[in-house]
Amino acid sequence: MMDRELSADARALYERCRRIVRTVRMLVPERRRDDWTNEWIGELWYRVALLDRSHPIDRYKANRLILRTLGAFPHALWTLTDEWRLDPMLQDLKYALRGILKRPLFAALVIATLSLGIGANSAMFSIVNSVLIKPLPYDRPDELVYMYGSFSQNDRASVSPPDFLDYRSRNSVFSSLAARTIFGSAVLSGDEEPERVRASIASSNFFATLGVEPYRGRVFSAEEENGGSDVAIISYGLWQRRYAGDANIIGKSIAVDGRPHTVIGIMPPVLDRTMDVQVWRPIPFNTPETSVRRFHFLRLVGRLKLGVTIPQAQRHMDDIAGTLAASYAENESWHLALVPYREAVIGSVGPVLFILLGAVGLVLLIACGNVASLLLARASARSGEMAVRTALGAGRGRLVRQLLTESVVLGLVSGVVGIVLAHYLLAGVRAVGDGLLPRLAEVEMDGVALAFTIVVSLATSLVFGAVPALHAVRPDLAATMKSLGKTSATRAGAYTRDALVVAQVALSFVLLIGAGLLVRSLWELQHVETGFDPSRLLTAEVSLPATRYRTRQEVDRFWTQLLDRVRTIPGVESAAATTLLPLRGGGDTYFYIEGQPPASDAEKMNATISTVTDGYFATMRIPVVAGRVFERTDRGDGAGVTVINQGLARRLFANASPIGKRLVVDFGKPFVAEIVGVVADVRIYGQASNAPDLMYFFNDQPAAGFGTGTMNLALRVRGDPSRFVSPLRDVLRTLEPDVPLSSPQAMADILSESVSGERFRTQLLAGFAAVALLLAVVGLYGMLAYAVTQRSREMGIRIALGARPAAVFRLVIRQGMVLVMIGVLLGVGGALATTRFLTSQLFAVAPTDPTVFAGVALALTLAGLAACVVPARRATRADPILALRQE
Amino acid sequence: MKPLSLSALAVLGAVSRSVRYGFDIMDATGLPSGTVYPVLGRLERDGYVRSKWESHAVAQREKRPPRRYYEITAAGSRALATSVEHYRTLGERLGLVTRKPSAG
Repeated sequence: MMDRELSADARALYERCRRIVRTVRMLVPERRRDDWTNEWIGELWYRVALLDRSHPIDRYKANRLILRTLGAFPHALWTLTDEWRLDPMLQDLKYALRGILKRPLFAALVIATLSLGIGANSAMFSIVNSVLIKPLPYDRPDELVYMYGSFSQNDRASVSPPDFLDYRSRNSVFSSLAARTIFGSAVLSGDEEPERVRASIASSNFFATLGVEPYRGRVFSAEEENGGSDVAIISYGLWQRRYAGDANIIGKSIAVDGRPHTVIGIMPPVLDRTMDVQVWRPIPFNTPETSVRRFHFLRLVGRLKLGVTIPQAQRHMDDIAGTLAASYAENESWHLALVPYREAVIGSVGPVLFILLGAVGLVLLIACGNVASLLLARASARSGEMAVRTALGAGRGRLVRQLLTESVVLGLVSGVVGIVLAHYLLAGVRAVGDGLLPRLAEVEMDGVALAFTIVVSLATSLVFGAVPALHAVRPDLAATMKSLGKTSATRAGAYTRDALVVAQVALSFVLLIGAGLLVRSLWELQHVETGFDPSRLLTAEVSLPATRYRTRQEVDRFWTQLLDRVRTIPGVESAAATTLLPLRGGGDTYFYIEGQPPASDAEKMNATISTVTDGYFATMRIPVVAGRVFERTDRGDGAGVTVINQGLARRLFANASPIGKRLVVDFGKPFVAEIVGVVADVRIYGQASNAPDLMYFFNDQPAAGFGTGTMNLALRVRGDPSRFVSPLRDVLRTLEPDVPLSSPQAMADILSESVSGERFRTQLLAGFAAVALLLAVVGLYGMLAYAVTQRSREMGIRIALGARPAAVFRLVIRQGMVLVMIGVLLGVGGALATTRFLTSQLFAVAPTDPTVFAGVALALTLAGLAACVVPARRATRADPILALRQE
Repeated sequence: MKPLSLSALAVLGAVSRSVRYGFDIMDATGLPSGTVYPVLGRLERDGYVRSKWESHAVAQREKRPPRRYYEITAAGSRALATSVEHYRTLGERLGLVTRKPSAG
């Protein structure tokens, strides 16, 4: 009846089912695999052949057969789990799981402790890996070299366009040498709200040098370096955001700084993650500004030719710099400083990250110690069970293996929880870390970080699991059997637990010292005298389009009008503008005292310059030390005037009065200025750096200072500065509807942000230290509480024999505090040996600061004492009757 | 002895009524393949059924691969009877089944 071949339809049905079976069969243990497969194949063939008797095949029944075939999957799984029953390791696993589930609270405590440690480590490792270890996302990134212009030994200045062109054409070590500006912005206007974006001008070969291909369109051509071509390349992010991913944007015209530019390309997303630039334009190399060798504003990127090293390239570029200096006087002493591109991107964040990674490593060690104590305590509670199992013939190896399996299960579960935790921690870091961490957008958990987490989890479980496992199977079987049912701690176990407590205290001491030093350093930093009053001060930047404001007179008329109107806003006490707002960039120039021109370049003096409007010093509340500040009578046609800061006055004239002395300042042309006043020092570059030598010029004197097309407004207001942002914007709009008000911010916030990096790492380390302290205290408490339970009989007897509760109380406290003290002493040693790694991160605090050491020692001792009190009080309540009855 | 689970009871019942092949047992019990095969595996492990392969000669004559079939063992029959009794008692206790009065 069945002795015929299947029809084509039936064949196809059979093949489909067979494919399912053949896929699933890999799950079946090898021993059973053939039988398993043959049974399915036999049934399937039989059923298909039955269906094949009617034509066409019943679709419904065919589908049911396929559905039924899917049951092969649970069947295969069942054979797999059935096989596991026989595997000793899986028996251990089952036993371990059962053991864990039987004490869910204990397991939760262990997993919480460990996953905290593992999660923090995993997150920190991801950061270190993404920022420091992973290669930059460019083509062969190791060949890329970053170049600063350099005047003296270690300064990191820029390079002028003519110098760049010479370096590019004359060198033979780079296969490609490119340049771009690193600070810059542009205003996009047109259909949308005007918006200030980060912009950069770059040489035509810049993207090719990095090995970045445009996402759409093309990059700049060599001809576009010759100027006159208004083309722009936009970032992927800007394209998506402002132009809503317009597919036809290439070839369209957009208004950049008030001039139409043709969009020729879109950069790929990878560039958004590595460079904060939204609009790229080509460097026009033939304009007056780009033909001056003294105007340094480019940074260079080169791709080394195969086999060329950085020192070789440095020597080669130094030779070219020498030739240039021989031809051009202004090039004297100028050269290039070459560093690996990576180093330029990462900056100085490396040590900080490694310190933090070390700190979370310590936290994990403490967590391990804590869990080891817990397991040890549990192991002695289970010593009876172990002894019985040994007596029944279980080998020691088997018992150790089983206990380790428990640890590994706990470790791996904690690892999984830790990964989840790390995921959220990283999201948090990405949210708050903007500007604090280079390559922040690249920070993620990748395969390497996952592998790291798993290895750490396994290593962790071996560390915390080994001690209790070896303890649990110690050989004095008879003794244990005898004492079954009674509770008495063995000395060996107690010593190990003591040592764990000491280690935890010592490690957390080291962490607390690190955190304490950073906290102290941050406090010092935040209480540095800045030289002006940041309270109730609103600042914002306004930048005028050079296309419509051509002369200095036009520009200055605008500032006067704007400030006059701003001062009428109700609640504004005073207002002024400056080219150099504290903590917001700056520029400097050369000068000499009239009649004392420098004999050589080495004697050239320079100072930071700031061009300010009327009322600047009053608005900022910068104290006038001598003389006067600018007045409306200091006109452009009058004699040049300047106000200098105290530091510069001291440097130039020592104790003599500088008032009335004259300086010759290089603003392209020499500008002679009489010093009319001296004001207090201002820490322009942030609290951590010293106040620079500073010369102030008056914006009403057009020959003084550089362009005032971009100024920072400062408004002293009554009340909350943020309430004045929108009135200020309204006033600006009445004058110039197309000019945006950029980065309006309260000065106090700018100050606070300027130490945000320090605050961030301090908070992180303090957080780690807090966790460490908590773990150590819990560990100490747990150990003592356990010891008191173990010794309750002894305590009872003591009380029965007449010991007063106070004496018992002291006894327990002493037991705990001896450990704390040993831990603190070891911690002092450890801290002295390690805090020097923090030196570079500290401001005005020595790494061995005695206040911090004393404070931490005291805090830790008190915390330890608190942990001892509860168990000690419990010990005094030991019942003498109960204790005696047990004897 | 623990009574058989209800699905095991159904499968073992089918086998005892000479429904011998896996897919036929599914048809007889209405249980899905993902349940029937593991149950058969467990029953075989516990010694309540034994499985055999039909003879190659038969299969070859019909030009198809051989099928595996299941038979109930003596222990299986006992377990079946005990479990049926167990569930009947349970049903009575819950007032779901009434035992016919025994003759006499």
